[in-house]
Amino acid sequence: MELVFENWELLFKGAYYTLYIAVISMFFGLFIGVTVALARLKGNRPVRWAARVYVSVIRGTPALVQIVIVYYGLVDYGITLGPLTAACIALSINIGAYLSEAIRGAILSIPKGQTEAALATGMTSWQAMYRIVLPQAARVAIPPMGNTFIGMLKETSLVSFIAVPELLRSAQLLIARYYVNMPFYIGIAIMYWIMSTVFSAILEAVEKRLSKAY
Amino acid sequence: MTMIQTKKLSKAYHDNEVLKSIDLEVRQGEIVVLLGPSGSGKSTLLRCLNGLETLTKGAVEINGVRLEAGMKNRAFKTNLLQIRKQTGMVFQQFNLYPHKTALGNVIESLLIVKKMPRTQAEQLGMKMLERVGLADKRDAYPSKLSGGQQQRVAIARALAMEPDILLFDEPTSALDPELVGEVLDVMRMLARDEGMTMLVVTHEMSFARNVANRVLFMDEGVIVEEGEPESFFRQPKTERAQRFLNKINQH
Repeated sequence: MELVFENWELLFKGAYYTLYIAVISMFFGLFIGVTVALARLKGNRPVRWAARVYVSVIRGTPALVQIVIVYYGLVDYGITLGPLTAACIALSINIGAYLSEAIRGAILSIPKGQTEAALATGMTSWQAMYRIVLPQAARVAIPPMGNTFIGMLKETSLVSFIAVPELLRSAQLLIARYYVNMPFYIGIAIMYWIMSTVFSAILEAVEKRLSKAY
Repeated sequence: MTMIQTKKLSKAYHDNEVLKSIDLEVRQGEIVVLLGPSGSGKSTLLRCLNGLETLTKGAVEINGVRLEAGMKNRAFKTNLLQIRKQTGMVFQQFNLYPHKTALGNVIESLLIVKKMPRTQAEQLGMKMLERVGLADKRDAYPSKLSGGQQQRVAIARALAMEPDILLFDEPTSALDPELVGEVLDVMRMLARDEGMTMLVVTHEMSFARNVANRVLFMDEGVIVEEGEPESFFRQPKTERAQRFLNKINQH
């Protein structure tokens, strides 16, 4: 276990990348998620269809396959991305599909009367969506989105496959150097666990605040 | 001057015809009450007037702006927005925005639709809350208000847009009996104000009797009978209206 502590710097750097990828992917995933949710709810037929295919494909294929397609596959078309960029793009696209479902469900949970009241006072349907429905849907969507984020935190370990120096990759590098497995694997498992627990606690606190009435 | 007019207005959900070729005319300043058994199409008629329901056949004309079944999408949308700016609607379930305060509810569309500066909107909003007697509740969220207070805020919200026409869709049906009075009082006050045209779907017979200028009785998607409230309630001409009034009077 001493080896783990001796190499804390590298492992912390790995944890930093893990968090970095998770937060960046969550951020862009949120944009994708809202856009796709709105496309499925308000788009015309081809737009709705495209959004459905996107969600179905992403949810129906392994994240690891999506990552290698972005990193290795695009090279065939002359698009060469750095591993970190590829990781963030692949995971944003991945998480966007899951978030879009959470957001779509949240939007659908807002009573129709809210939109009708807004329309009746002269708002356009977009104004009603942005001013009245989305703020209420956000509250509903926060718990499932938080869970998605915690899931994403763990899924980042997949990008070790394309040599992004995140937590799992850091451990693998150290293992290659010292020829011992267990301490490093246990060490990073604990670090993943701590990060997930901290975010779960934050999420719980947020949920508690949200559960209070307006 | 005609404020509301429908011409051969029909509305069908699939094969189910809810409104059958309705011809309606309401003049400026008139208070018209729509009566009828549930499922007779009263609410649907009201919702067709401000485009919350699409029209299957016929046309609606509000203050000279026309909606027609099968109109081109763009023209339809332009006219729809224009109509909605001239009409206010009050719903059975209030439909206040739960994430906004009473004042926030009232001024929302002043800010968004009329693009009014916030201070000016708040001034106007407070005036509207005063009219419905709820100025002291300006910062209360809807969840902290009684049903009657919520509906009064909803009326203030409709008034804030300064509409020529107010549509009431069973405004007291979701209220506890002891809260009905305060909402009807506000509606009576509005009815006394000059110029406001009101179309009210309600089961409050006393309101229909005392406040309305005209009563329309609907059944199965058609206007069966119309007349002055006094004569309608004393001597309904049609058998269906007689039956309806008998049923109500039994309770």
